Amino acid sequence: MAVAAAPQQKPIAQGGYKTVCHVKRGPAGAVLEIGGFNLWYGASQALFEVCMAVEKGLVTALIGPSGCGKSTLLRSLNRMNDLIDGVRTGGLVKLDGEDIYDSRADVIALRKRMGMVFQKPNPFPMSIFENVVYPLRVDGVNDRATLQEACERALRGAALWEEAKDRLGESALGLSGGQQQRLCIARATAGEPDVLLMDEPCSALDPIATAKIEELMDELSGQYTVIIVTHNMQQAARVSDNTAFMYLGRLIEYGDTEEIFTTPSDPRTQDYITGRFG
Amino acid sequence: MPDSAISKTSAMAPARAPDAVRSRSTSLRARGEPFVWLLGGALAFGVMMIVGFLLLVLWNGIAAFFPKPLAEVRLTDGSKLAGEPTRRERYPVTPEQLGKLASAPRAAILAADGVSGRTLYRIGNYDIYNEDFRWVSDFEVTTVAYPAQLMFVERREWGPLVGSAVAMKLGNEAERPMAAFSAAAVTAAHREALARWERIRHLERGEIGRINHYLEQGRLRVRRAELRHGTASAEAQTARAAAEEQARELQKSYDAFSGEARDLRQRDATHLITFAEIGGKTKTLPLSGVVRMYAANDLHLMDKLAVYVSRWWEFLSDEPREANTEGGVLPAIFGTFAMTLLLVLVVAPFGVVTALYLREYARQGRLVSIVRISVNNLAGVPSIVYGVFGLGFFAYILGGTIDQVFFSERLPSPTFGTGGLLWSSLTLALLTVPVVIVATEEALAAVPRSMREGSLACGASKWQTIRNIVLPRAMPGIMTGIILAMARGAGEVAPLMLVGVVKLAPELPIDGFFPYIHLERSFMHLGFHIFDVGFQSRNSEAGKPMVFVTTVLLVALVAAMNASAIIIRSRLKRKFQGSQF
Ligand SMILES: Nc1ncnc2c1ncn2[C@@H]1O[C@H](COP(=O)(O)OP(=O)(O)OP(=O)(O)O)[C@@H](O)[C@H]1O
Ligand SMILES: [Mg+2]
Repeated sequence: MAVAAAPQQKPIAQGGYKTVCHVKRGPAGAVLEIGGFNLWYGASQALFEVCMAVEKGLVTALIGPSGCGKSTLLRSLNRMNDLIDGVRTGGLVKLDGEDIYDSRADVIALRKRMGMVFQKPNPFPMSIFENVVYPLRVDGVNDRATLQEACERALRGAALWEEAKDRLGESALGLSGGQQQRLCIARATAGEPDVLLMDEPCSALDPIATAKIEELMDELSGQYTVIIVTHNMQQAARVSDNTAFMYLGRLIEYGDTEEIFTTPSDPRTQDYITGRFG
Repeated sequence: MPDSAISKTSAMAPARAPDAVRSRSTSLRARGEPFVWLLGGALAFGVMMIVGFLLLVLWNGIAAFFPKPLAEVRLTDGSKLAGEPTRRERYPVTPEQLGKLASAPRAAILAADGVSGRTLYRIGNYDIYNEDFRWVSDFEVTTVAYPAQLMFVERREWGPLVGSAVAMKLGNEAERPMAAFSAAAVTAAHREALARWERIRHLERGEIGRINHYLEQGRLRVRRAELRHGTASAEAQTARAAAEEQARELQKSYDAFSGEARDLRQRDATHLITFAEIGGKTKTLPLSGVVRMYAANDLHLMDKLAVYVSRWWEFLSDEPREANTEGGVLPAIFGTFAMTLLLVLVVAPFGVVTALYLREYARQGRLVSIVRISVNNLAGVPSIVYGVFGLGFFAYILGGTIDQVFFSERLPSPTFGTGGLLWSSLTLALLTVPVVIVATEEALAAVPRSMREGSLACGASKWQTIRNIVLPRAMPGIMTGIILAMARGAGEVAPLMLVGVVKLAPELPIDGFFPYIHLERSFMHLGFHIFDVGFQSRNSEAGKPMVFVTTVLLVALVAAMNASAIIIRSRLKRKFQGSQF
């Protein structure tokens, strides 16, 4: 885990929401820069002026009470919200300096760089093997050996290999809920994306599998950038380098996890972390 | 609920219900039980009607080919008749008939309110009697017997013959009475005669038909050359020379075949069998003119079954004869099957692609809504309207153009410019495509969004997502639409009468001549066959069993096609069933 660079005070959000925490800097700078980002579902606004910079190679946790817009923000990063009728966005999201909402941006290439694990497991109605190697298949990879290797690596990483190695040909829909979620994690990592977006990946998992996933995240950090939404404060504290706290569609506070959890600057953060609401 | 419970409740809470005592028990109306019974009863009634109808058709269809006994009836006026008792009914006797009767039977009829029973006999021998069936009232009958020597003879012409065999003449031998032949000898002679007849048919229809086909091809080549290069051009000259050369070649083999056929016919004319009907009139016919004969009252169960099976086999594997009331329906089975298959081949891709565009690609706005409503309403247009459209657009406009461009040498006789298999399938495809579109759209809409998102998040393009995730997942629903379309299409008759179905199609749409599949040909259809045999033929009484048998066959064919599609669908469905709860 990268050690914090010189503490630097950086106003992240406008509109009266300021953070006093320090962001832990990665060795390679920011990979994603979000500036003044707004999002509307039809007439109702779900995100207000969100500003944050996600550090490359670090794990960033998004926390906040239910309905505050964590999933919405996450889905904005790989333009998944494009699929929903009536969604409008405003503001900037830059991946390695390029605006992903630019009209010339290649959405498919963007999504290939951003693996995503959804809040609910969504395996495809195919075999386990085909599920895992799906990102490679859509890239036109058909070499059996390459696929098998990628499949095993991804399944091991998602702590599913031991359970699934003898039934790779069976339908993925026959797996249990937790296994399905780990399968989705394997699928998201099989394509070796740059950024991994995880929306409550462990909500359906038992403690052992959760520990394995956390271990995976630990391994991944360094080579991948991970953004994880979680309701589990301990998990956020354990796995993440930086933490962003959201409330009612606004980013309230963003900074080094340790600082957020020990000395939050906003009373709402304090209340949420100590369990007074949410 | 007992009253005491209610009063106790109200006593405990007097403030809540001061004046009226509220009943806490659920009334029958609130529970909706009577409605459930009503609906259940309606369902049972509907199912019973359908099952009853199917059983009726099935029973009549299955029993139709079973050999019936032959009765010899002696009438009060001293005459005799012989035939198969077909059905019985009661009818009011007219005063004139009553007036002619003796007093005893008249009193009996009057005692029964002037009603008497009567039996319909299939007496056959249309060539002698000028009728096939005859009603015999009960009071006309003196005795009924079932003599063993009476035979039921199915002929190639004139329908069945009822009578006894009296003599047979084989080749150049002199005619001998039937008693001189053993049963085995008769069977052998008959079998030989049938084989000879088959050979003649093969020569005349098959071999000579092929020669005629080649001659026609040669003529068409000449005509094409003439049309393209002018009558006097060198190309036309060479084509003419080639055609003449070919015709000379063909003439040689034609002579050989027709010579053999002539010899066989001459031989055939010397093998004769003579029957005597019940009144004593005799009828001599070539042995090969007898399709099947049996002594109806002298059959054991095994013999009856043999007749039964052989009739079914003839029905399924042969061509119709006697204005479709006898013989088989192979061309109709084939036509129905081919047309339905072609229909599915057209309607499935067309409907699915349309639905895909509507649901996945088109911007959901007013225009798409209008298109969708129109498509739904298309399913309600009377099918005969589609028939008129098919004839006008497909056959006359489209087919006429094709004829002018590609088959000009055959004009004025049309090739594609008239009804045919292809145009029928296309017309029915038009008729059934709304079903497929609606079903596919629904199936596509039912694919969970999370699956599409999962695929897109993996970097799949929209088309890859549809190809790999959406379509396979929607396949069972799409199959349902195709099954419905197929079932509707296979049973539709009205539009087909305009665009290609005929009473009798001598040539199947598939044969040994290039291009092997002739989609322009008119064809036979089981549905139309039912209509034609039952209601359009000279002798509707004789066609009745055929109506039932053909109906059974049509229902079975549609059921078999549906069943195979349903099996495929359930295979697909099983693939998508998860064990997750
Ligand atoms: N498809 C949609 N259409 C309209 N409003 C939506 C849609 N999806 C989400 N919202 C609204 O946007 C807000 C943020 O939702 P979001 O799903 O991002 O919350 P969340 O922080 O992920 O909550 P949770 O922790 O419960 O998953 C909510 O008020 C929600 O009602
Ligand atoms: Mg969420």
